[in-house]
This record gives sequence, structure tokens and C-alpha cells, in this order.
Amino acid sequence: MKFRTTEYFIKEVATSLKRNNWMSLASIGTVTISLFILGLFLMVVVNLDRMASTLESQVQISVYLKDDITKEQTEALRQKLNSLQGIDTVNYISKEDAMKRFSERLGDQKYLLSALDETNPLPNAFEITVKDPQLVKTASKEVENFPGVDTAVYAQDIVEHLFDLTRLIRLIGLAIIIFLAGATIFIISNTIRLTVFARRKEIAIMKYVGATDWFIRWPFLLEGVVLGFLGGNIAAILLRLAYMALTQKIYDMMTFFPLIPLYPFLTYITIIIILSGIVIGALGSVISIKRFLEV
Amino acid sequence: MKSPTEINVIKMKSISKVYDNGAVALDNVDITIRRGEFVFIVGSSGAGKSTFVKLLLREIMPTSGHLLVNGYNVKKMPNREIPYLRRSLGVIFQDYRLLPNKTVYENVAFAMRVIESPRRLILRSVNSVLDVVGLRDKYKCFPSQLSGGEQQRVAIARAIVNNPALIIADEPTGNLDPETSWEIMDIFQRINAAGTTIVMATHDKMIVDTMQKRVLAIEDGRIVRDEASGGYGYEV
Repeated sequence: MKFRTTEYFIKEVATSLKRNNWMSLASIGTVTISLFILGLFLMVVVNLDRMASTLESQVQISVYLKDDITKEQTEALRQKLNSLQGIDTVNYISKEDAMKRFSERLGDQKYLLSALDETNPLPNAFEITVKDPQLVKTASKEVENFPGVDTAVYAQDIVEHLFDLTRLIRLIGLAIIIFLAGATIFIISNTIRLTVFARRKEIAIMKYVGATDWFIRWPFLLEGVVLGFLGGNIAAILLRLAYMALTQKIYDMMTFFPLIPLYPFLTYITIIIILSGIVIGALGSVISIKRFLEV
Repeated sequence: MKSPTEINVIKMKSISKVYDNGAVALDNVDITIRRGEFVFIVGSSGAGKSTFVKLLLREIMPTSGHLLVNGYNVKKMPNREIPYLRRSLGVIFQDYRLLPNKTVYENVAFAMRVIESPRRLILRSVNSVLDVVGLRDKYKCFPSQLSGGEQQRVAIARAIVNNPALIIADEPTGNLDPETSWEIMDIFQRINAAGTTIVMATHDKMIVDTMQKRVLAIEDGRIVRDEASGGYGYEV
């Protein structure tokens, strides 16, 4: 495209945005709202996804040992566990370690331990992790039959429910994203249509004097892109603020809650939202001008 | 595909146009118009004059037949070539079709801008065609500040600014009084004398009778008369 043509296009877009200022503001607002909601869903889905995979990788089997086994037996058991197929790590947690951990976890409420009168009801245990989360179920069954093992447990229910939940949220999120994208395209195309309609005579004359369709289309396409870009930017800023506030709040309340850290996550979200705005704006304007090019 | 030595500017062979509603607008028409000719297309309303003009612009497709305009095969060419066909033509309408929010200068320059001509060439060409139509001193005016005849002269300037080989004028004097009409015809004659082919659809008996140019009469979609230097032929 030649430079003077580009210059002409930019002037056309500026004039049009000024002429339809209220309608332009309304479209930017709509794009902002749609992309904001879209972004919220995206962030929730990605976070849940990440949470699920974190938990998945952390699923460990606690193998509680009988109280009466000897050191040698324990050592033999460790070797047996290590030789199991698909085992990643094997950690020995003695009664004392377990108690220490428990008291730490209690924090301010450590005084509750005094009720135990210095006795330690916690068993010795091995904590094993497996390479493939799918193995958790079979491995724990097998281990339970080893001599000296009391029980082997893992957080089965929690994991499976979490998977169901993320699947559901992903599905709903996708449906809402598609719906919002459609609605946004519709609204942008209506805004651009006003501009196009106001200039249909000009378009017809352009066609008569031999302008190509793309020459006519460009200013409108750019207008849509500008609207989408502005709306996308505002939505991205709002999303960043919202996420920062949310992480702060959650961090204050539940330190261990594994939200995705701000960066580079927010950078990705910003890029995705602004790009979506641009694509939606472009699509909307191409759709609205189609009819007027048939001269 | 376009050759400047082409003698026939328009060559229609067995052209028919049947609209979707079944109306036959043109019925097996054969016309050849040579470079440099001045041709009137006459006929009553609905006889097929507008269809004829629209076909030349490829605003509509012929139903059957063969049509060459400025070397473009109108029936077979792909849509993306339509702009280039139209650049080789200048079109003038009864209702001028100027852009109301642009000045005289901008309206004429517009035809060059959309085909991405260099700015210097635009300045030079626009001034020179405004001289041809005698509106150089009104270049800053908006269409609403001009008379009908002046507006049509702007439209003519716009049509010739890209040096087309063929001017198509659809009832260019239809909205003008006789005196102004003659000013327009005078400009057409000068453009024609410079070598540009002119095809003008009209109702104006007096103009056709006085000019003594080639006349093609269309009636019910057929060419009923083709005279080298004829008159309108019958009462309207």
C-alpha cells in the first residue's frame, strides 16, 4: 500500500470516529465489557487448570506403618517400595517428624497438643509419589499388602472432583466466550454499518470511478480495528487491576492458595484480550460493509 | 488484454439481458462503436437504455452474448477486474452524483485518489480538466453552492480526469434547462473532438436532432434503428 493511501485511510478513520463519536464510544464500551468478562473466564479457567495439575502432581500416597515393626523391617520395606514400578520418590517420615509437622501446621493453635500429654499417636510412615498420577490407585492397593504396612491412603475424592469441576468450568467458559465474541462482532458490525450507510453514496461513486473493493474496505476495517483495539486495551487494564486485587486479597486470607503469579500471566492475558479485540473489530466491519460493495 | 490500437471501443454480439423477474431488457443486440465516435442511445423509458449503460459498467451481467468494452471481455472477466474496466471509462449520470461534503476540487481529485495517483499528477490534471469545463475559479465551492449545470460540469471533469477512452453519459441533460444543456453538449463535443468516444443515452429530441450524430434507437430491448447522422426520429 502506498504511503499517500495510508495517510488518506488514517484521515478517513479519524473523521469517521469523530462524526459518530457516541456510537463509537458505545462500541468501545461493549467491546470492553465483553472482553472483560471473556478475560475473567479465561483467568478462572487457566487458574483452575493449573491448580488441578499442581494437585495432580502432588498426589502422594501416605503409607502408614504398623507400630511394632523393627528398623530392619522398615529398611526392607523402603527397598521394596523403591523397587516398585513407576515410583518417583520415597520419603520416610518418622513419628517425631510427623508430630513436628503437625504442630507447625497448627500454628497459633499449638496449645491443642497439650491434650495429648506428650504422647505421640502418629504412626511412622513412608510418603511415596508416583510418576504417573494414573498409577496412584493401583500402587496404593499393592502397597497395602506389604508386610508391616497398616494402611495406604491418598486424596482420591478431592482430585477426581476437581477434575470434574475444571471440565465443567472449561465447557461453560468456552460457551460463554463464543457467545460473547458473537455478540461483540454483531455490535461492532452495527456501529460500522452506520458509518458505511452514511457513506453509501460515496462508496457507490468510488466503485464507479474504479476503486478496488479493498481500497474501499480499508478505512472501515481500520475503524473496526481501532474500536476493537481501544476496547481491548481498556478491558486488559481492568483485568490486570482485578487480578492484582484478587491475588492480594487471596494471599492475605489463604497463603497457600496456589494462584498463578502475576507475571508473565498478565502479559499473556493482555496480549490475548487486545488481539481478540482487534480480530473482533475487523470481522465486524468486514461483515457490515459486504452488502454495500455490491454496486 | 487492453490494446490502445483497438478500433472498436464497444463490441456487443447477440447480447441479451433477462432480469430475475423474467423481464427481457435487451434482446439479441448487436452493436459496434468505434474509437472517436459520438453515439446517442435513444428510446422511451424502459426501452433498455439503462440496462445498456449498466452492462457497459458491468453493474449487471449479460444473460447471454459477447461484450467487449475497451478490450475487456465483460462477460468472462473475474470480479476483481471490474475496477480496471471502470477506470478505462468515464461515467456521467443525470443526478451528477457529487459528494456534497467535498469541494469541486476534491470531487474531481477523488476519482484520481481512489486509483492511487501521485499527488502532483492529481493537482495538474484536476486544474486542467477544471479549465476544460470552465470551473477553475470555483474549485473551492461545494456542490450546494453551484447551479445544476455547474454541478454536471464538475461531474464531467471527474469523468474525464483519468483520460478514459470512453465516456458513458446516462441522461446527462435530463435535469437541465435547454440553454444549460447546450453548454454541456458543447463540452462533450470538445471532448469528442479530442478523440474520446462518447456514448450518451438521452430523451432529448432537440439535442439529438441538432447534433446530427450516430443514433441508436432501442425499443423493447431491440435496436430498431442505427443511423450514421440521424435525428431522434419520432415524437416523445
